[in-house]
Amino acid sequence: MDFEVTYTEEQQRFRREVRAWLEANVPASVQRTPVSAEDNYQRYLELRALGRKLGAKGWLYPTAPAKYGGGGLDVDHAIILEEEVDRFDLSLPPYYDSGGRLGSASILVWGTEEQRQTFLPPIYRGEVRTWQLLTEPGAGSDLAGVRMTTAVRDGDDYIIKGQKIFVGSDNGTDRIWLIACTDPKGKRHENLSWFMIDAKLPGISMQPMELMGTGGEGGTDSGVKQTVFFDDVRVPAFSLVGGENKGWTVATTHLELEHGGGGRIGRNRVWDRLLRYCQETKRDGMPLSQQQDVRDSLADIYIKTEVQRLFGLRNFWLTYARKPKSYEGPQLSYFRKTTGLWMTGAILDAVGPAALTTDPAWGSAAGFLETQQRNGIVSVHPGGTTDIQRVQMARRIGIGRSTREKAGTVHGAE
Amino acid sequence: MDLGLTESQELLRTTARSFMEREAPVDVIVGLQKRESSLDPDLWKKAAQLGWLGIIIPTEYGGSGERLSDAAVLYEEMGRGPLPGPFFSSGVLGALTVLEGATEEQRRRMLPGVARGERVLAVAITEPNASWGPGGITLAPQGRNGSYVLNGTKLFVADATSATDLLVAVRTGEGPTDVSLLHVDAKARGVTTRRLPGFVSWQCEVSFDNVVVPASALLGEAQRGWTALSRALERALPLLCAYIVGACQAVYEKSVAYTQARVQFGVPIGRFQRVQDHVIRLVNHLDSARWTTWEALWKLDTGRPATASVHLAKAVASEAYLDVCNAAHEVHAGMGVLVEYGLVAHTQMSRTLFHYLGEPRWHKRQMANALDW
Repeated sequence: MDFEVTYTEEQQRFRREVRAWLEANVPASVQRTPVSAEDNYQRYLELRALGRKLGAKGWLYPTAPAKYGGGGLDVDHAIILEEEVDRFDLSLPPYYDSGGRLGSASILVWGTEEQRQTFLPPIYRGEVRTWQLLTEPGAGSDLAGVRMTTAVRDGDDYIIKGQKIFVGSDNGTDRIWLIACTDPKGKRHENLSWFMIDAKLPGISMQPMELMGTGGEGGTDSGVKQTVFFDDVRVPAFSLVGGENKGWTVATTHLELEHGGGGRIGRNRVWDRLLRYCQETKRDGMPLSQQQDVRDSLADIYIKTEVQRLFGLRNFWLTYARKPKSYEGPQLSYFRKTTGLWMTGAILDAVGPAALTTDPAWGSAAGFLETQQRNGIVSVHPGGTTDIQRVQMARRIGIGRSTREKAGTVHGAE
Repeated sequence: MDLGLTESQELLRTTARSFMEREAPVDVIVGLQKRESSLDPDLWKKAAQLGWLGIIIPTEYGGSGERLSDAAVLYEEMGRGPLPGPFFSSGVLGALTVLEGATEEQRRRMLPGVARGERVLAVAITEPNASWGPGGITLAPQGRNGSYVLNGTKLFVADATSATDLLVAVRTGEGPTDVSLLHVDAKARGVTTRRLPGFVSWQCEVSFDNVVVPASALLGEAQRGWTALSRALERALPLLCAYIVGACQAVYEKSVAYTQARVQFGVPIGRFQRVQDHVIRLVNHLDSARWTTWEALWKLDTGRPATASVHLAKAVASEAYLDVCNAAHEVHAGMGVLVEYGLVAHTQMSRTLFHYLGEPRWHKRQMANALDW
């Protein structure tokens, strides 16, 4: 076994090129914590501008096919890009966007050639930002139970009507993909359809939800969510991907990716900052990190983050080496979610009440730990609750149902 | 990056698994449980012929000099039993202690016999205080006419009742790590070994009653014993972890099969989400132990600093095996506690290995020190 990616001379040269480019093109200002809603929006615009620059070089979605505007790079180069962007505390993409990682996978697998040519290049080049709209008031964990949002064929168009909740992020979007019910009397899993549409169409309106999370545009995460209303929105039939009533099948492609199937490599920013805080902060005259009870808590936290890193690495390798997967995707999600939730208590125990405040004088690690206190709880539900992850795992393991369920195919979508 | 096994590792796995299925099926494992000695002469001889006893002993000392990660494949398969016997005690911890602590002459004298299975080593570290640090070593030999005289007790010594030779850590000075290693014949006058009774697998008491040991029994140099032991442990522990990973894998497979076969309320019990939760808890522990262990093995085999990883892996594996067995008992209910079914051998082993060579808390603290927090 080899747990490390080794780089060739050519790849090292690529790293130097990327580093120099990022140093020249990432404005220092994007690393600020926004002080107001207006400032948050301004920062978002700067991140989008950076995204377009990255997209023009094929670096926004480096492994996406070059034919459709992606980078066409191999995984090794993508890792280099991720690592270099991470040095700026950013991710790829540097703002919330479901289009390039999830929606595009479904289009690649299920779309027609014309749909790929139309939908994918603007996504991969960072020209548009896309939100996924799946959850409804009556369809959360039971996603296949989507009923409220309907699409009815009308000539060359579909008319979409209904409501989606807990979607998107702050600052609006350009494109939307959604699943809607196209056969209210049809059988479960055979009554939904998958659409990629323009977010600015007449009849679409949005309303922010006030949630416990923080961070409007935190890389791939977002603490701000919207309710989106569809009031007889007319969309061209060309928006339908994968055929009418095939939406559930189309969705399984991105759901598998969202369930951790793709894997992840990268450092854990919470851990780095937590350790630094405990080394720099004294209680009763001694650094927290030197106190045995805190040290014991830190050891438990560190071990969880290491196991999570290794699960991510394993899934990454399974994907990259095209090995068969079973329960590993939902296992990573389950572990990440339950660890984050557990860690809110463990960090509160180790650090004390300073973990709860963003106060510049009395808070901890520039408010970073306070963010974890909220987001560790919020993260339990997006992409499927901890319970849903366990249901998925059990099916893949081959218990709970008479036949073992296979992991969704994502290889075609790389 | 490549997290798969090599072709030769796959081959070793196939050989080891068919050996285990043929020579050490559940009834054999269960039958061995009550014996005073963990060593079954027939199994031991066959394992020696396959080269398994000297798998990590360098070729110049009669072994096959494989990498730790190759040996780990074998230890995973042994753990599936869980196969009793001083395989780890003699072929891994014992051999590495000799390699790290002994003189060249002593290595040449001792190791070929270990690889052939004629010499069986057991390493005696801790005492009734059950501490795995150097502070736990208090047994102090008295010097007499150029010899050492030992009086006292070593405790929780794995496989001592199977051993021909004991490697005994003794206190030879006031400093915290003033520890030396003595090579003591297990049959020497005044040495008694006894398997501890109860819910524990082949952990033994070794008593020394006026045992006279010649000066030549000192392994390597005086006061260098702790350094040698630490180095040996760093390389040995991941193989103990690999044994645990194999054990967890077997318990997982047993549990999955049981949830599919056992019918209650008219359906296989795996249909119940509460039962599924036990299996999921189990597989999460299994994979935690597997990947932390294999990363430590990889670091050691490639010469990377591995101390923190090794401590982390042992902490994770110990906790994993314990709770894997707990989860399996929740799945299996009455069937699980039926001795002949085979889960009990794992449960007892999981408790034994939880503490053996350092409990999770101790290893976590060593990990924190190694990471220089």
